This record gives sequence, structure tokens and C-alpha cells, in this order.
Amino acid sequence: MGISQTVFKFLSSQKKAIGYSLMGLLTVGREHLFSLSTFKCPCSSKNYIYGLVYLFAPALVLLLVGFALNGRTWQLFTGCCVNPRKLFPKGKSCHFFYAFGQITLKAFIAPVMWLSVVLLNGTFYECAMSGSKNLKYLEMLCHNKSKKCLEELPKIACGQTSLSSWETEEIILTLQAESQVVGWCVIVTAAFLSLLITCYGHCQSNTSHLQKRFWKIYTKKEKEQFEKYFEAYATKLSERNLKSFFENKKLEPFPMPSVRAWEEASALDSFNINQQIFSTLHKLVEDSMKENDSNVAQDTMVNLGEGETV
Amino acid sequence: MEKFRTVLDFCLSHQKVLGYSAVSLLTAGSERLFSVVVFQCPCNSWNMLYGSVFLLVPALILFLLGYLLNVRTWRLFTGCCAPGRCCCCIQRRRCWRYFRVLWLVTVSAAVAPFTWIAVALLGANFYECAASGSSLLQRHLCQGRGTQCHEQVARMPCGGTLPQEAQTFVSLRAQSQVLGWILIASIMVLVLADTCLNRCRSPVSFLQLRFWKIYLEKEREVFERKAKEHATKLAERNLKCFFESTEPEPFLTPSNKDWQQISSLYAFSTKGQYYSMIHKYISAKRGTSIRSTEEDVFSPALLFVDGTDFNEMGTI
Repeated sequence: MGISQTVFKFLSSQKKAIGYSLMGLLTVGREHLFSLSTFKCPCSSKNYIYGLVYLFAPALVLLLVGFALNGRTWQLFTGCCVNPRKLFPKGKSCHFFYAFGQITLKAFIAPVMWLSVVLLNGTFYECAMSGSKNLKYLEMLCHNKSKKCLEELPKIACGQTSLSSWETEEIILTLQAESQVVGWCVIVTAAFLSLLITCYGHCQSNTSHLQKRFWKIYTKKEKEQFEKYFEAYATKLSERNLKSFFENKKLEPFPMPSVRAWEEASALDSFNINQQIFSTLHKLVEDSMKENDSNVAQDTMVNLGEGETV
Repeated sequence: MEKFRTVLDFCLSHQKVLGYSAVSLLTAGSERLFSVVVFQCPCNSWNMLYGSVFLLVPALILFLLGYLLNVRTWRLFTGCCAPGRCCCCIQRRRCWRYFRVLWLVTVSAAVAPFTWIAVALLGANFYECAASGSSLLQRHLCQGRGTQCHEQVARMPCGGTLPQEAQTFVSLRAQSQVLGWILIASIMVLVLADTCLNRCRSPVSFLQLRFWKIYLEKEREVFERKAKEHATKLAERNLKCFFESTEPEPFLTPSNKDWQQISSLYAFSTKGQYYSMIHKYISAKRGTSIRSTEEDVFSPALLFVDGTDFNEMGTI
């Protein structure tokens, strides 16, 4: 394996730690980092839209990236246009929504972290709310201030107002305080919902605690073994093909799983834990074993046992 | 190398204390960071809300995270309300047991929030900001001075002072720090009293308890290793069957019932010397239920048995 591949593998295994450290750094080095970014409050009636775009557009981008980087999204959607029936197999229609829900919840982590960091910083919120169209809110901000406060409010984020320095400072501090309070509310709501959903998931689960632990280990090991087998088989097949091409020899038969077997192995894992099955592949193998046992007298071919030669 | 080994042994033997100390240090560090970098008292009518939010909301978040990241929570709740299983609280004795373990989980989860509150009170920034916005203090200081005085009191944390009130300002900081020390002292006293009481009521001796903790640690390590080996063998057999289209060999793996039995809460029996549910299950006739009976003893000193960390975070 090349150095870049090794580094990439190590980094992807430490995804969580890297993510949290980045968020921590953002909170600490906020002034520096945000001054480097392209944000410049327009200090006009466009403040509100500009601030909201900077608040929510990166969150949306992070959400979409979260969807794209999750392997299960592609497992769910690959081939769905060719065979739409795959998304809603017979008797398991709600499994699609359950799987999509899980993917969505995981994808929400990054946008929520972004929102909490920028709200604790306060710059974007300050810009947005100084251009708010809500009269009551603006009057509350300009309470006990000079008459031109309402007009000068949008320019407060740029420091270009003709208001006195203590008035400007007080309004900025108020906006920042509001932003940070909202930020903390976002974090506490996310933590609470996270706890509730995880609790619900665990309580409803038919699997015991240690079996769940074993299940996670098995899924990880199966993934590693898949990679190993893919590499080994791909190497053997390509060697055979290129040997035949260069040495002009007859093609030796090479047994591989059929297209149908690949389809079935790629299906979403929706099995009953009462049967002690830990993955789709495990289910296929156990099912083929049961069919073999019942068909041994009749001598019929079965799905999995019937490979193809390529 | 020898010195390194000594340090490592020390760390392993005091894992729990070191773990909690690390959490406390991290929380204290974050509090200082937030206090210096993020916190800026607005010095107006928002003071009370702002100061209280900074003092209490992070503590609440840390408390929720404490539950989320504690393995014992999920050991307790997994499968609690699964369809087809009886709800935990039907038997009173079992219900009481669940509440005791839940109490232990709550106490573990409370370490970080209390550290945050204690360090925040010692730092005094949040308390002074909140107190200067409290209507009680404003009314006390501004007797007969009008509403402008209220605003001046609110501006005290930002450097604006009135001559006589400077002393009150200083005493706000002092109040906060005294509260902080009282909190730390009372928690220390409670923890010591609780540990003492639990040890006094322990049904096993000191050396056996020591051995028990080491056994659980080793069992956890061996469980991880054996589970990985077993999972690798099962995955290899499945993949071999898939790629080579061969007939799969039968593979022996523990049944669902086996897993459920070893995952249940520990029940100490005076009859046998069992150091974990796995030990108890394989010693009894396989297939029989080893859950608690009338003769079992539930001692708070043995609640650590259910706390073995199997490296699972209960997150989605």
C-alpha cells in the first residue's frame, strides 16, 4: 500500500476525533479564522439575507456532504432507477424509511456543530439581526437610545455608525449575547434529542447489549474481509486476463458469483435477529445451507451455489 | 523501560480515579477557555439570562453527554421495552436493582457538570454577570435612586462602577468563590462518606474485591479478542462460500438466549464464587436462566461489576 493510502486509511479511522478537534479549533481560533473567510457584512438593508445565507448555506452543504460520504446512502440508492422495486421490497416497505432516517440523523451531526460554533461566535447573527425587518425587535434593541438608532442599526456591524461608542458597544454586546444564548439552546436541544433517540433505539432493540457489541465487531471484520477478497480476486482475474492477452493463450475458466448473487448480497440488511443473522451475506449463506439440506435428496442447484464462470 | 512499566502499572491500577480526573481537568480547561474567549457580559437587562445560561446550560449538556457516553446506561436499557419481553418493573426486587444501577449512572454523569459549575463559580465571571442583572440586587443597591441606577448596576461587570458599590462588586466575586469552594467541599465529603459506607457493607473481603476488579478488566480484554477472532472466522467462512460458490460448513456461535443471559445485570450469590455473568452462565447448566433469585445479595459495593466497559458508545 502506498504512503498516501496508509495516511488516508488512518485519517478515515480517526474521523470522529478529527471532526471534534476541528470544531474545538474553530471555537478557539474564531477571530483569526473568520477574518480569513470571505464574510463581509454589507451594512445595508441586505444584512438579514446575507447573515442568514452565511448561517445556513454551509450547514446545508455539510448536510449534503454528510449524505454523500455515508456508504449506506449509496447502498440504498444504487440501481434504484433500474429496479425501483428494490427500494420497497415485498413485506419490508418501511425498511427504506428506517434506513434513510438513520442516514439523515448521522448526516445532521456536522451542520448542528457548524451552527453551534457560528452562533457562539456571534458575527453572522449580529449581521443578520441588525438588518431584521421586525419593528418590535428593532425597537427593543434601540430602547433608551438616540433617535437615529433605528436608521444606523444596519451599519453597526461595520462600525460605521454615527452613534456614540457606548451605544454601539451595548447593541453589539446585546446581539452577541442573544446569539450565544441561541447557540447554547441549539446544543442542548441536539444533546437531548440525541439521548432520547438513542435510548428509544436501545430500548426497542431485540438484541442484548453484548450481542450488539459482537454484531458491531462482526460488521467491521466482514467489511475488512470483503476488501481482502476483492483485492485477491481482482488480482487473480486481471492476471489471468492479461496473461491470456499477452501470451495469446486460451482463457482458463474463472468462477465468480453470478450477477443475481451480487444483487442479493448488496441488498439492505433487514433481517430478524431471532435467526441470529449478522449481515445480508450471512443470511444468504445460511439460507443456501438450509436449501442445500432440504434439496440434497433432489439434487437441485441453488442460487448461491450456482456461480458463473467469466 | 522499568520506570515506564511502573507508571503504566500505576495508571492501570487507578484507572477509575485517573479517568474521572481527566474528565474533570478537561471540563475545567474548557470552562476557562469559554470564560476567556467566548464569554462577554452584555451589561444590560440581558445580564441575568446570559450569566445563568453560561453557568447552567453547559452543565446540563455535559450531564446529557455523561448519560449518552456511559456504557452502563445502555447495558441497563438495551432491550428494556422490546416487543415480546416483559417490562423491567414488574418484579419489585428487579425494579429496585435497576434504579440502583441508574443511580450509579447518574452519579458518574454528574462529575463533569459539577466540575463545570465549581470552576465557573471559582472564576466568578458568570456569577457576577448574572447577579448584577438580578432585580433583587438592583433594588437593594438602588433604594431611592431611580431607574438609571439599575442600568449602572448592570454595567458593573464591564468596568462601570459607583464608588460605594465597588465594594459590593468585589463581594459578588467573593460570594461566587465561596459558593464554589462550598460546592467542592460538600461533594468531596459526600463521595467519601458514600465510598466508606459501600465498603463497610461489602459482602466480600478487601483482597477478593481487588482480585475481582482485575478479573473483570482481563475478562473484558479477552472478550474483545475472542469476539474479533470469532467474527473473523465467521466472516471468512461466509465470504469463501460467496466467492467460491462452495457449500457452507456449519458454524457454532452462541445463541440469542446465551447472549441475553450474559448481558443481564449481575446478581451475587453467596453459594458460588462467580466473578461475572459469563462465569456464572458457563458454570451453571447451559440453557438455564441465571437471573437473580430470592437468595441473591445486592450490595452497593458490587455495583462495579455491571460497569465493565465493553468499549461501546451508545451513539447512533
